[in-house]
Amino acid sequence: MKAGGSSDRSLEHPIIWIAVIAGALGSILILKAVAWLAFPLILAIVLYYLVQPLLQSLQSAGVTPGQALGIFLGAAIVMTLIFSVTILPSMLSSLSEFQNQIPAYWDRLQIVIRDNLLALEGRFSFAKNAKLADGLEEQLNLFLASSGKEYVADVALFLLHWLPSLLLVPFLTFFFLRDGTAFHRLVLRAVPNAFFEKTLLLFDRMDAQMRAYFRGMFGLTMLDTVSLGLGLWFLGHKPGIFGFWDAMFLGLICAIFAWVPYIGSGLGGILAVATVAVKAPQSSGLMVAVVFLFLGVRLLDEFVYTPMTVGRALRMHPLITVMMIFSGGMLGGVYGLLLAMPLLGIFSVLGQMFAEVWFDPRLRARYHARGMLEKMLASKDLGI
Amino acid sequence: MNLANLFRPPPMDPMLKIVSEVAIFRDCNRAELEALKLHLHERHFLAGEIVFDEGEEGEGMYVVIRGKLRANRKGLLAKKLLGVIQPGESFGEMALLGAGPRMATVVAEEDTTVLAMFRPELMALANARPRLGYKIAMGVALVLETRLRRVAEGQSPEPSST
Repeated sequence: MKAGGSSDRSLEHPIIWIAVIAGALGSILILKAVAWLAFPLILAIVLYYLVQPLLQSLQSAGVTPGQALGIFLGAAIVMTLIFSVTILPSMLSSLSEFQNQIPAYWDRLQIVIRDNLLALEGRFSFAKNAKLADGLEEQLNLFLASSGKEYVADVALFLLHWLPSLLLVPFLTFFFLRDGTAFHRLVLRAVPNAFFEKTLLLFDRMDAQMRAYFRGMFGLTMLDTVSLGLGLWFLGHKPGIFGFWDAMFLGLICAIFAWVPYIGSGLGGILAVATVAVKAPQSSGLMVAVVFLFLGVRLLDEFVYTPMTVGRALRMHPLITVMMIFSGGMLGGVYGLLLAMPLLGIFSVLGQMFAEVWFDPRLRARYHARGMLEKMLASKDLGI
Repeated sequence: MNLANLFRPPPMDPMLKIVSEVAIFRDCNRAELEALKLHLHERHFLAGEIVFDEGEEGEGMYVVIRGKLRANRKGLLAKKLLGVIQPGESFGEMALLGAGPRMATVVAEEDTTVLAMFRPELMALANARPRLGYKIAMGVALVLETRLRRVAEGQSPEPSST
């Protein structure tokens, strides 16, 4: 999230840039340490920004803020109940079916990779000399025997961490929606008079940027899901590989992967190709078609969807982006990968805010003048 | 216990009562003022402290609750006093129309309490409650019309023409 215009100048100060990067990476570490709280908190903030326009529309129809929140909560509870009764049971049964099929999928994936590597060895002598197929099999067996179990344990621990804490999401969102304005006022009360107006302005700018970013990301995810889902369904429904909802679900997972810039869409593509490889190992043409589908959606993403939703103003330099993602991943694992860019965006705006307020000599002079007035007032009867 | 009291609304917050008497908000009803209250920021200024400077980017207006302020403009040789702002008066309304520079410097003459209203917050409120937005816009227009009239008649504008 990068602000445009004159405020960019404030980020030219090297100390501010170092502080912005250090702040973003430091908060990845902190968020990782309290992941059980950070995960629902971030989801609640995203939900807050998504739900806010609905409440505003209700209010403009003449409903009070409290009533608007009540109507929304009522509708959300009814929809959750309907979802739990209708869609959830079939989703759970599909999930448990998928879980049972994981070993079979894994075996088939290994066979597909081995077959392709053997074909490569047959064609190129360097591949034969490198014993690619045997090497990979050995590596996979080693992985399964040692760290594979560890990874599975990590994933299980990760799920145990965040699944129960998801219950916090509606609770936090409710209070953000209900008391957000009061909390905003409370925070602003701590701002000295000299910086008050400027801080209000910058807070508003930050709020607008976060709102645009989260709503944009939501829109982008939906567009990616629909494009990929429809594409996968179109390619896979005739050979019986994907049903409509399977394709949409896979599209959604790939769209979520794409939250991680550069690396994410590649990982999503690999996942989709691997799924096709496992479900229809003989249809290499289909695998190529899926690769082209991903490239096509990537281009759409780049030139149509992103400018339509998140906008180009939120872009960072690719070098900074890649460095931040890798550093984030190293420090915070999955959290770091997903949060590196949004956190860098938030800290950039905070850095701008601080620089604009603190490096304004007139505002600082007024701040110090207030201090002197307070001192004079406190020592008035002391005769000094 | 007087049963009639049950149907009487609770007394209005004294600060909100002062706001309700400010020209811009005079047409707002109780419910609208209560909605407005959520977006008011109470600030305390010491005698001699600057509220805002002439030429600074303006972002909101203020209503004086307690104390006294004076509005100055830079003159050729010295500062020119535009006037004194008393409790129940407002200043800085021009900032509600757009982020132009402030027309004067406002300084607290004695310890002062003001309520600040910030333009983006008021705009958001006006979006959510268009009727209230219309009333505020009309209020600002009326205040500016009064000032223009005073200037046209050769009088100095009110001190709140900041």
